[in-house]
Amino acid sequence: MTRLDKLNRALEELCGGSVRAQAEEDGCVRLTGSLDNWEKIVQAGYLAARGKKWRGVLNDIRFTGQEIPPMRTPALQDNAIDGAQPDVLVIGAGIVGCAIARELRRYDLDVLLVEKEHDVAMQTSSRNDGMVHPGIDLKRGQLKQRYNARGNAMYDALCRELGVKFKRCGQYLCFEERAMRPAVLLMPLYFRLKGIPCRYLGEQALHQAVPGLSSSLRFALFFPTAGTVCPYGLTIAYAENAVQNGARLSLDTAVLDMQREGRFIRAVQTNRGTVYPKVVVNAAGVFSDRIAEMAGDRFFTIHPRRGTNSILDKRASESLHDIVSTMGALKTRSAHTKGGGIVLTADGNLLVGPDAVETWMREDFSTDAAGVRAVFDRHSETSPQVKQQDLIASFSGVRAATYEEDFYIARGIHTHNIVHAAGIQSPGLTAAPAIAVDVASMAAQLVAETRAVGQNPNFDPVRIPIPLLREMSPQQRDQLIAQNPDYGEIICRCEEVSRGEVLDALRRPVPCDTVDGVKRRVRAGMGRCQGGFCGPLVAGIIAQELGIPLEQVTKKGRGSELTAGRTKGGGSL
Amino acid sequence: MKQYYTDVAVVGGGPAGLAAALTANREGAQVMLLEREGRLGGILKQCIHDGFGLVRFGEKLTGPEYAGRFLDQIAESGIEVMTLAFVSGIDRTGSGYQLRVICREGLCVIHARAVVLSTGCRERTAKQVSIHGDRPSGVLTAGAAQHYVNLLGQLPGRRCVILGSGDIGLIMARRLTLEGAEVLGVYEAKPEPSGLARNIAQCLTDFDIPLYTSRTVTRVFGSERLEAVEVCETDSQMRPVPGTAQRIPCDALILSVGLIPENELALGLGLSLDPRTKGPQCDQRMQTELPGLFCCGNALHVSDLVDYVSESGETAGRGAADFARGRLPQAKTVPVQAEGPLAYVLPQRLSADNQEKTVFYFRAGKSCGPAVLRVRCGETELLRRRYRALRPPEMERLVLELPAELPAALQFSLEPEEPGEEGKQ
Amino acid sequence: MKEFVCILCPNGCRLRAGFEPDGETFRVEGNSCPRGAAFARTELTAPVRTLTTTVRAVGGERPVLAVRTAGEIPRAKLMEAMEAISRLTVRPPVRRGEVIVHNLLGAGIDLIATDDLAAVLQGGLKDVTPL
Repeated sequence: MTRLDKLNRALEELCGGSVRAQAEEDGCVRLTGSLDNWEKIVQAGYLAARGKKWRGVLNDIRFTGQEIPPMRTPALQDNAIDGAQPDVLVIGAGIVGCAIARELRRYDLDVLLVEKEHDVAMQTSSRNDGMVHPGIDLKRGQLKQRYNARGNAMYDALCRELGVKFKRCGQYLCFEERAMRPAVLLMPLYFRLKGIPCRYLGEQALHQAVPGLSSSLRFALFFPTAGTVCPYGLTIAYAENAVQNGARLSLDTAVLDMQREGRFIRAVQTNRGTVYPKVVVNAAGVFSDRIAEMAGDRFFTIHPRRGTNSILDKRASESLHDIVSTMGALKTRSAHTKGGGIVLTADGNLLVGPDAVETWMREDFSTDAAGVRAVFDRHSETSPQVKQQDLIASFSGVRAATYEEDFYIARGIHTHNIVHAAGIQSPGLTAAPAIAVDVASMAAQLVAETRAVGQNPNFDPVRIPIPLLREMSPQQRDQLIAQNPDYGEIICRCEEVSRGEVLDALRRPVPCDTVDGVKRRVRAGMGRCQGGFCGPLVAGIIAQELGIPLEQVTKKGRGSELTAGRTKGGGSL
Repeated sequence: MKQYYTDVAVVGGGPAGLAAALTANREGAQVMLLEREGRLGGILKQCIHDGFGLVRFGEKLTGPEYAGRFLDQIAESGIEVMTLAFVSGIDRTGSGYQLRVICREGLCVIHARAVVLSTGCRERTAKQVSIHGDRPSGVLTAGAAQHYVNLLGQLPGRRCVILGSGDIGLIMARRLTLEGAEVLGVYEAKPEPSGLARNIAQCLTDFDIPLYTSRTVTRVFGSERLEAVEVCETDSQMRPVPGTAQRIPCDALILSVGLIPENELALGLGLSLDPRTKGPQCDQRMQTELPGLFCCGNALHVSDLVDYVSESGETAGRGAADFARGRLPQAKTVPVQAEGPLAYVLPQRLSADNQEKTVFYFRAGKSCGPAVLRVRCGETELLRRRYRALRPPEMERLVLELPAELPAALQFSLEPEEPGEEGKQ
Repeated sequence: MKEFVCILCPNGCRLRAGFEPDGETFRVEGNSCPRGAAFARTELTAPVRTLTTTVRAVGGERPVLAVRTAGEIPRAKLMEAMEAISRLTVRPPVRRGEVIVHNLLGAGIDLIATDDLAAVLQGGLKDVTPL
């Protein structure tokens, strides 16, 4: 029996006769048919991927259970980038796309980065736990493992260059079952062989290192290379450094179609005009399989997996200063997440989560009460300090998972002038810096087939960040306020953000004109009152700075205006 | 860095702080009043509706008018006012307190013998009451909505749902209706409304705005702008009842779901908060457990009337002035205990040197019909008073003439009368 | 007999009021002060309210100015009054208590400012806190 027959038999068992697998000439397997049960569709995909018998799984089973929402596209229509002929067109301004754009500017390449949202880092890159992973559960041979190890090692120098806060705080993997102790004692050796520094901690050492943990936790492994970073902060920093080095960024720009000639993409259509790039980089996150399909070069399928994290009041993090995860409550752990944990974010809040829910909605960022409660229930077992009453915000992100559960980073096979940086999910944040170096080099080589490509002598890797006044010494802060009194006027009381910092956020290389944009750049509205006090003030500053009426200020771009217009007697300044 | 020296520093220029500063000044102390915003008045600036000052001035004033009466006095008082001045932290020193202040002139340090915290409160947010979904615009607290409408002339939405029947929510229902928005309803998770009866009458009944009790908002729809909310019935524990979800199209959800005293500065000084009031514990002079540190207004406990906020400010201001001038004796304290269906009694303790008329505030923990409040000190009954009805939203005020010596704890107990007894009275 | 809440003070007394069958004797129950009785009578015959709202302001440090009717106006005229007020524009400076409109809607009641509003000089906008 061939591998195809075996697969078809297994699919028949799983789904009845409504699904078929067929072998493609390029070595992929394609699943077709229709099902009204999304879970089954995902299971079928995993079934096909099992044992890595195919180059890739193309799961084209139609979901009939509900309508799959179309990709959110900007309402904007203009010709802002029409006729552009960049050397490299990067699609998607998440952490991966922004990092690639920046790395591409080390070469003398004309780079255009397009993003369909109104800001960079609007999806998965801003909707994760910000962990820089040591790579505990990654397997040898996976791209994930390789890029995670390389990326992790780059973080200290990179964050210094880009002016981004990064804390290499280490991670505690805790155990509660005594019976596991002999095995756990041997694990540091195993991890060290994998190149991951690791130390065993007995009960006393653990509770001394992390006060506030549940007393049921007996021992732990400590991974000193784990860290936390603000994920959207790093993405914005990458984007700003790319733009400051001459990359062009076009926001509100969705790729709608591509024209190919033979093995080459010749034109890429967007809602803001047609672009004629030499090389295309696919960094489109949850839509990376759609872009690959447009390019005629698809070898994978994205099955979106939503994860919800919750942020706690800073007051709740007084004694927990590290990343803590447990191996205790295995039964509540989903197979394809790092299991979640308690993370002290780079900005000093405790974060708990994430969970993992398979979904057909690629852009469903909603949270639900049951999911949030489950995460709290689990983590309050790890530390009694984790209480839902301290919750100030929950958010969801959607992971761009493939059925192979690995990154897809490769030059095109059918189509010559494309490089994919796709299927990037956890540990994508950790891996992104290393992925970017490789993908930029692949793209540069492709351009070099048409013309000589040299280094960019003017490349400046250093980005000057917005001054962070609350973390300065009083003397420094006083000096800065003397130069610019706006730094002395506090707008956001919870996070102590000044008018000067809000104005800075609006005057950076990457344009920002929204309340959420300001929030992600300087944290105004991130605190316990969630913008109740500063929201109207920040909106007022944006209106003044941009010279627009307040009713045109948005939360996160067109369609998200903060108000519905003026009151009957509403005037203007 | 500039250094300032003063007897009393008042943090927060809302109704409590204004009263505290004026009283401390009147009592002969040198006073500095610190306000984070550009104008004094606190939340009263945006409370343009009337009904303020009935107790104090015997008039129905609007918020700005009520504040204005104090502002006129401040202007003539010689109190040093710093606006756009943010107190980022307070440290204790040998001779009092040091306040770290950020303002447009730079950082400065204020050395004060006594400090009054009148920092007000903040509003609970959507996630804190477990409303889920994405994060569209159009979901805002009643206070933020009030800021948009009354100070910025902006309408938060044209079809509004209000969650929570607290007074600000009711006031906003009327205000939005007057401005031409449609208020689809006020939803309250509890079986009874939490705002004042008069506000339900003049804000909802007057405008035919429906009030739905035992119902709550559980989810928002839309990712850019709010498109709809999901409303569920609630059980006696205020939990949504499965299978009762209903989708209501709207473009604004306004939350009036509770206020939380702001006490970051007190917490920074190591004070613990009373879980019942969410404010620091204090004595009859509004002095906290730290000598020379006073707290008043909504930072101490959320009041429903500004008149009482001002009164507690005056008490704190007088205490702070006395403390700064060395006129406040250090005395032992006795606790004030609350029994029966009382949510809390304020102050939580009394300094035993008490010789004055003492003001108490209390709140019922649940609605009750006729009930008798008894105040005892050891074996002595100091007061027995019958209340026709008590409701948690309505704070009660009580003045007691206490004996000079308090040998034991002061006990407040509330005893609801048997349902059948009502007719006999 | 009609039941309603007295809105004069925070006590919120629950009133029962109405004319006796003779059509002349007016009866009120549930009030705890004489003002409540008077309120009940007006409320049942010609209810009145104080209107508080804002007026458009141009050239001030805020775009709106808080105002109220100096006395009560017929409840039925609240919306009509809002329409009339929406057509107004004030030019700061305005002082609290200043009359904005004399005899609003001809009801004999003035519209007065309830807050101060300072004028802002041209070009000085950027330095102003929108509060």
